[in-house]
Amino acid sequence: MFNYILRRIVQMIPLLLVISFIIYGLTALQPGDPVDRLAFGDPNITPEDVARLRAAYGLDQPIYERYLHWLGQVLHGNFGYSQDFNIPAVEFVFQQRMPNTLLLTVPALILSTLIAVPLGIYSAVRQYSAMDYGMTFLSFIAFSTPVFWIGAMALYLFAVYLPGVTNGAVALPPGGLGGDVPPEAGWFAVALDKVKYLVLPLCILMLREVAATTRFMRASMLEVLNQDFIRTARAKGLPGRRVLYKHALRNAMVPILTIMGLSIPGLFGGAVITETVFSWPGMGKAILDALVSKDFNVVMVALMLLSVLTVVFQLITDLTYALVDPRIRYS
Amino acid sequence: MAWKRTILVSALLLGAVAYAGPANNSLVVGTSQEPPNIYDPWNTNNLAIASEINGFMGASLIAPDDDGDLYAEIATTVPTLANGGYKIVKNAAGDVVRNSMTYSIRKDAKWSDGKPITIADFQFWLKVQNDDRVPVPSRTPWDRAKITPVDADTFTVTFEPPYLFADQTGPSAAPSHVMSAAWNAFDNATKNQKDAKVVSEEWKKFISSFTTARNLPKVVAGPFRPTAWRPGNSLTMVRNPNYWRTPKGGDDKYVQTVTYRFIPNTNTLKVNVLSGQLDAISAVSLTFDQALDLQRSERNKFKTYFVPGAIWEHIDVNARSPKAKDLDLDDPRMRQALLMSIDRDALVKALFQGKQAVSNSWVNPISKLYKKNVRDYNLNVTQAKALFADLGWKPGSDGILTKNGKKLSLSFSTTAGNTTRERVQQILQDQWKKVGVQVNIQNYPSSVFFGPDMLSKGQEGKWDLAMYAWTGNPVFEEGNLFKGEGVPTAANGYAGQNYAGWNNADFNKLQKQAQSEFDLAERIKLFDRMQTIWSSEVPSLPLYYRVNPYTKVNGLLNYTFSAYTLYPSWNAYQIGWASRGAAEVNKQK
Repeated sequence: MFNYILRRIVQMIPLLLVISFIIYGLTALQPGDPVDRLAFGDPNITPEDVARLRAAYGLDQPIYERYLHWLGQVLHGNFGYSQDFNIPAVEFVFQQRMPNTLLLTVPALILSTLIAVPLGIYSAVRQYSAMDYGMTFLSFIAFSTPVFWIGAMALYLFAVYLPGVTNGAVALPPGGLGGDVPPEAGWFAVALDKVKYLVLPLCILMLREVAATTRFMRASMLEVLNQDFIRTARAKGLPGRRVLYKHALRNAMVPILTIMGLSIPGLFGGAVITETVFSWPGMGKAILDALVSKDFNVVMVALMLLSVLTVVFQLITDLTYALVDPRIRYS
Repeated sequence: MAWKRTILVSALLLGAVAYAGPANNSLVVGTSQEPPNIYDPWNTNNLAIASEINGFMGASLIAPDDDGDLYAEIATTVPTLANGGYKIVKNAAGDVVRNSMTYSIRKDAKWSDGKPITIADFQFWLKVQNDDRVPVPSRTPWDRAKITPVDADTFTVTFEPPYLFADQTGPSAAPSHVMSAAWNAFDNATKNQKDAKVVSEEWKKFISSFTTARNLPKVVAGPFRPTAWRPGNSLTMVRNPNYWRTPKGGDDKYVQTVTYRFIPNTNTLKVNVLSGQLDAISAVSLTFDQALDLQRSERNKFKTYFVPGAIWEHIDVNARSPKAKDLDLDDPRMRQALLMSIDRDALVKALFQGKQAVSNSWVNPISKLYKKNVRDYNLNVTQAKALFADLGWKPGSDGILTKNGKKLSLSFSTTAGNTTRERVQQILQDQWKKVGVQVNIQNYPSSVFFGPDMLSKGQEGKWDLAMYAWTGNPVFEEGNLFKGEGVPTAANGYAGQNYAGWNNADFNKLQKQAQSEFDLAERIKLFDRMQTIWSSEVPSLPLYYRVNPYTKVNGLLNYTFSAYTLYPSWNAYQIGWASRGAAEVNKQK
């Protein structure tokens, strides 16, 4: 087991190096650079100014040289400054954006799993019942409704329409992060203010998560329920609940664990559309903006973080198989 | 008890969201952009939203009001030729060799920490502005400026060679008593540094210690000072007690706190306006269509304004590719015919309810240099067809004009995803089709369209018609967009912004003269002739000058701007609520 983990960790190093070069190269190969944005809107900027600025930001060098410079700095623990925000890229990602994203995505994953797993089990056990059809129908609706549309509708409903008809008694904030309540008001008031702003984006983000996980859980459970060992367990006269929760559920959870394990890096990557619609300053929007404006250092920190998390959680997921499936051993 | 707690929490969750308004004499402004940093005296990020927010915190020697008239802020008076503060020096031949402005600093002009604003602050700003290691976007015109103290409060700024607009702008001030130590550290760290990237990182270290959310500006000069910046969410500023200008009736009757909310999605911004969360929105916010939507939903709560702006929308005609020669795009008659084939009046009525006036020149209509009677190319299909026929173009069997076996088929490009422009394209494509011109729409993402391989490579035939915008400042107009020297070519490293490739000797001569004509009346005459030539040749098809939409809640006073002031923060110290006793001194024009 230990040797297996060590081997996997060693394999990660060249893989991450290749990934870093690809990310850097693709970002650099996009047309234009940060100087273009400065130059285009200002007729006073001369060609000499453009050349001077390109040299100042090192944009006049070949991509491989810039990459090697970046890599050398990273090995010394310097991830550089954000071109757009003039602060260290690490600080921008880990202090300014990551906490907001985790505040949104972690509860969304936990709550949607807690809701979706029982719904999926129920749907599988009561296959073809009215309830099963109903849940399938709602899952497809939730899954196929664009987030930007349903998000905008939710905003209008809770921030404009309902406050209007209830004279402000029922109202939710139209996006944003909150934080208008001063700390002197006490932790409860501060937390409640945060919840107020969180509730709409959280619900919208959970819609798709619940719909997708319910469908996965149902399919996984149905597959297991139709297997011989379940039939045997039932034939031996084991109680139905025991067959379901001890024998079937444990096996059905393997693919769900895989999906959840691989979705954890996504938690850190944020939810770009939800964040955009609700003006929630998280990682998704930050990565998109950094890519568009070619803020190299931010792009590299954010995407390399996601790459590291992906390979690490891939390993963790592989290891958890051994916990839930006794047939799997890493020796 | 549990059910009571549930009801209480639900009520708190779903109840009463704090509404913006005059209740606590504050102002909440919504904007779709967040500045990278604030109060950077050297404006190294060059972004509109940064300039707008800086308006609340900054002070200038002199500045224009909504009508373009200059007023003194840090200076005691506006230097002019009449009062001797503005001087022009000519040589024996009568050529202007230098010009200068002499400013006196007000005795009560102070930084927010109470320290007086001094000549040293202007000298410090100029020294950093012109330092090779500092990545300022443009050094013009400060690279030829020199500050000479006259006495403790008076100094002269001399431009040699002369600067055409010396009397319209002054140097900025940077708080030398706060920044000098850090600047010296930067200076020592980079003195002999050859690696530009290291210098760049050191500069970021220096500037970020005064301008970011983590390190808010330590002192400012303007009517408001920053107190909190929550990245991605909001920026709060409070009234600066050390600001020297007092609005009518006293400071306490005017806004005490200004909060900018950053709402990148403009539809969400719209919802914020409708829900009463915002008192006003910034000049950097809504699209035209969204503003029209809001205008329909005002219900006496807020009002929507459409301010004539400084953005000129036009279509460049590529007159220098091999294809351009085949299709006669290098012939003014072809360009005139293309312009006369489209109904711009109908276009602005249909898409913009007539709120964005048709333009016939690149010069901003509110500029003193604008030629009011410049030729107006109204829709004239008969004349357009006659011009096409003149050039030898005849309708083919499919109705498309042909000549020497070639069809008059043009590619028409703009920035993909800009719905307004895409709709304009479709309308124009349809109108050109009616006169036999086939137009194929081929759009690109902004980064490609404005990238190094598109507009400036007209010679390589990358495009035929390109629709985009320029800022047409009504004051700092030099006519350099269409000067021959500005045609980007391989020889000049693709420098310059005359993408259409139009090169007219008469225009070039007049433009050169205008650049060194310090008498405004004479410059107006030169621009009159330049616009006559330009409109007879139409290197670009002028469309309209954009308006800048915004909203504000009823009762909010002096929150105004124009194409001269650009942002509502120009008059920050007088923004207030009628219900709190503020007096109205500016009305939105």
